[in-house]
Amino acid sequence: MAIDIFLSRRNPELTLRQKFWQLNWGMVLLLCLIAGVGFAMLYSAANGSMTPWASRQMIRFGLGLVLMFTVALIDIRFWFRYAYLIYFAAFALLVAVEVMGTIGMGAQRWIDLGFIRLQPSEMMKVALVLALARYFHGVASEDIGRPTYLILPIMLAVAPAGLVLKQPDLGTAGMLLLAAGAVFFAAGVRWWKFALVIVAGLGAIPIGWQFLHDYQKARVMTFLNPENDPLGAGYHSLQAMIAFGSGAVTGKGFMQGTQSHLNFLPEKQTDFIFTMLAEEFGLVGSLGLLGLYFLVLAYGLAISLRARNQFARVLALGLTTNLFLYVFINMAMVMGMFPVVGVPLPLVSYGGTVLLTVMIAMGLIMSCYIHRDIRISRRGTAEV
Amino acid sequence: MIRRFITRQLRQPLPPARPESDPYARALPKGDLSGGRPAVVRVDGATKQALETGRTRLLVAAVSFTLAFTLIGWRLVDLGLMADQHEPSLARSLSSDALETGRADIVDRNGIVLATTMPTASLYANTQHIRNPQRAAERLAEALPDLSPAHLRAKLASGRSFVWLQRNLTPRQQDRVNRLGIPGLYFQREQRRFYPHGALLPHVVGFTDVDNQGLAGIEQSFDDVLRASAKPLQLSIDLRVQHVLAQELAGAMTEFRAIGAAGVVMDARSGEVLAMVSLPTYDPEKPAAAPADARFNRASLGIYEMGSVFKLFTTAMALDEGIVDLNDGYDVRQPIRVARFTIRDYHPKNRWLSIPEILMYSSNIGTVHMAMDAGTPRQKEFLGRLGLLQPAGVELSEVGQPLVPSPWREINTMTISYGHGLAVSPLQLTSAVAAMINGGTEARATLLKQDPAGAGKGRRVVAAATSEKMRRLMRLVVVKGTGRKANTAGYVVGGKTGTADKPSGGGYARNSRIASFVGAFPMDDPRYVVFAMVDEPKPTKETFGYATGGWVAAPIAGRLIERIGPLLGVAPRGDDNELIEQMLVDIETNAEGRQLASN
Repeated sequence: MAIDIFLSRRNPELTLRQKFWQLNWGMVLLLCLIAGVGFAMLYSAANGSMTPWASRQMIRFGLGLVLMFTVALIDIRFWFRYAYLIYFAAFALLVAVEVMGTIGMGAQRWIDLGFIRLQPSEMMKVALVLALARYFHGVASEDIGRPTYLILPIMLAVAPAGLVLKQPDLGTAGMLLLAAGAVFFAAGVRWWKFALVIVAGLGAIPIGWQFLHDYQKARVMTFLNPENDPLGAGYHSLQAMIAFGSGAVTGKGFMQGTQSHLNFLPEKQTDFIFTMLAEEFGLVGSLGLLGLYFLVLAYGLAISLRARNQFARVLALGLTTNLFLYVFINMAMVMGMFPVVGVPLPLVSYGGTVLLTVMIAMGLIMSCYIHRDIRISRRGTAEV
Repeated sequence: MIRRFITRQLRQPLPPARPESDPYARALPKGDLSGGRPAVVRVDGATKQALETGRTRLLVAAVSFTLAFTLIGWRLVDLGLMADQHEPSLARSLSSDALETGRADIVDRNGIVLATTMPTASLYANTQHIRNPQRAAERLAEALPDLSPAHLRAKLASGRSFVWLQRNLTPRQQDRVNRLGIPGLYFQREQRRFYPHGALLPHVVGFTDVDNQGLAGIEQSFDDVLRASAKPLQLSIDLRVQHVLAQELAGAMTEFRAIGAAGVVMDARSGEVLAMVSLPTYDPEKPAAAPADARFNRASLGIYEMGSVFKLFTTAMALDEGIVDLNDGYDVRQPIRVARFTIRDYHPKNRWLSIPEILMYSSNIGTVHMAMDAGTPRQKEFLGRLGLLQPAGVELSEVGQPLVPSPWREINTMTISYGHGLAVSPLQLTSAVAAMINGGTEARATLLKQDPAGAGKGRRVVAAATSEKMRRLMRLVVVKGTGRKANTAGYVVGGKTGTADKPSGGGYARNSRIASFVGAFPMDDPRYVVFAMVDEPKPTKETFGYATGGWVAAPIAGRLIERIGPLLGVAPRGDDNELIEQMLVDIETNAEGRQLASN
């Protein structure tokens, strides 16, 4: 600690080598541990085979690590400068999906680039936080209280959320809005405005209900009472809860889970991977993973606290909240506390875009830490 | 409030108070003085306040994350450790969903399902959601060929928000409709009673209406039980025997171009009905489409004058009351004249006949003599004991009331002795024969499987000695008399044929008759009683112009026993005629002696 205080005091402009040692190695270790849990579960989900999931996930994680370090080492002012550009690029991709996206699983969600299927909605989660952080960096704290200053950021958040909702992907759209809300919150928007939005949101539920697809309605109804349709829409939740119950304290042992290996659990390698973990490693395993995530989140909050410019502070909190939402919604969903909305468990669930998105987000958070003492003017010019 | 106040105050005196926008204003206080921490000393109010807001917000976020993770952790513990409390409720809800069909199954004595309830889907349309009724109707008619496209089009174009298209689809049909993907078509879950064996035994099991209310057979008589219980109702029916009986009767019906047929197979000791068939039959899943004649249960509801079969009862009565013994006999040379009637024999022997011969040759004159010697009161009492004067006690509402003459005059006694003037149902008759040969105890007909321990403990109806003599007499009829076509190697069949002209107007029709056979096997220790009856058989070339019980019904019984004997575990044995040897010798001697005497 002493050394980086010394360095920052003397000269916040660090060399690449210095920056490298400034990386949050504790956080990197945590991320590797979480990803390791993911590899083990994917290996188990394939009945003790590296193919088709575990090996590919490892390659992607390796790629993700490189990407994360790269993002972290790039100067935060670069990210500040290109925040809007990145946002509009992601937005353009979202529109592109709408126009020419391939149809998969009944929902238009990705662009097939050949080597990877790009899900612009995942990338938007990071891009939106970036854009909002930049916006709020440029607004004086006393101006945040003025409603007119909120029109633009609300539009920034609602436009992509609307496109994602149209795909239709209720879970991602909700996450975008919640992450945006977290940025608003971190930027210091007044309490009562949140209260107003929440009340208005609750009031809109009956109206919004009519626009939901039948399968979405069924999922919500099933969430409210999973046992009324145990073989239909309630199947996911019930099988998952049986898995949790049968795991007990220490679990059935690695690769011994019957719910998953006998294929009672649908989507066991993606959204429902946490149930597999709970079944095979029990309470010890699932609470352990929860603890790892908690430490990562604590790192994120601490970085936000240490940041000296508004951009980094808001960006770190927004991205941390984003990670939190992934973890919380996924776990709550598989444990029947939340409707099934298709949110993966970051770093553990199988899936390329989500993994890379989360690694980029972690890279940005680290970048916030490395460049915590750099001051950025309202207009984006650096100051020392 | 305070924050607001400060901000406002700051804003007025210091209009350009945007310290961070001014690089120089912030160059000085940066970092150094406070040891790396933000320069609190020099920072003006707004920035300080913004920082504090930021920290408060971070704290709130941290607390929220912690609370949320605590909630997740608590839920994990709840699911992982309290599994014992959760799982049974899940198991119960899953299984009760599968079983809650509202009406218990009906199964045969071996547990084979005869009636069950299944959830089905019924197709309806909200025609306001149908975009192109013409096209939808065409495609739907391809998926459900039973429905006419024109009819469907009319329904789909009606503009109504609810219109039934087809009730109770099979899963395959439902799948085909789903594959069409036509918006506006929906399925309604329903319960439907299924009869997997179709027209094999609707007269036993019965059927239900669309609301699953029992309307006939066991479905009706046990409606309350079936509704209340989840446990299957077990019948005495043996589906295999039922199948054989139905097949043999149907074959005979076709062969003799008859209008109907009926048959019963009964356990001689317990009265359990193993098979009960009435032809023509119908599909219990489409009872409305069946003509009344097909729904009519000839075996339990129909009552018939059984003809010569009744001579068994007259003989048993005479033996049981000690009026005659097997060696006694009657002179049958003179027809009996009563009022305007004359009672003759079909195969006149014109000599004295012993009791076995009277039965063997089915002599009306001899039988009438026996009945007259017993007298009306004893006949009435004896037939009552056998249960022939009350409806059969079986668990069906389709039970025929026997047609008993009132007043019961001497002429009635005479005609009833050979089976005319008293009409009973096949089920009553089978029950009475069972009691007569099983050692003499009542065998009340039942359709429910009985505990084997309770069999043979009924009320005594005839003396054991009478029962034993009747077995031998019945065996004699099959070996030497009119029932020869019922004889089946190895099963020691005994029985009696009957051919009765059907009542028509005030008298009897010459060419419409009931041909019947009642028998039992094996006669040395009877286990099963069989009854077969064909309604209005027409003579064929193969039967040399005969359409009598011996030519029509006895062969049914023969083939039936040949097939069900092995199924029921009756061991075939050598066909020695020990039972009737003495009788055969006596008959020979009698015949010779009488002939000598008459010469």
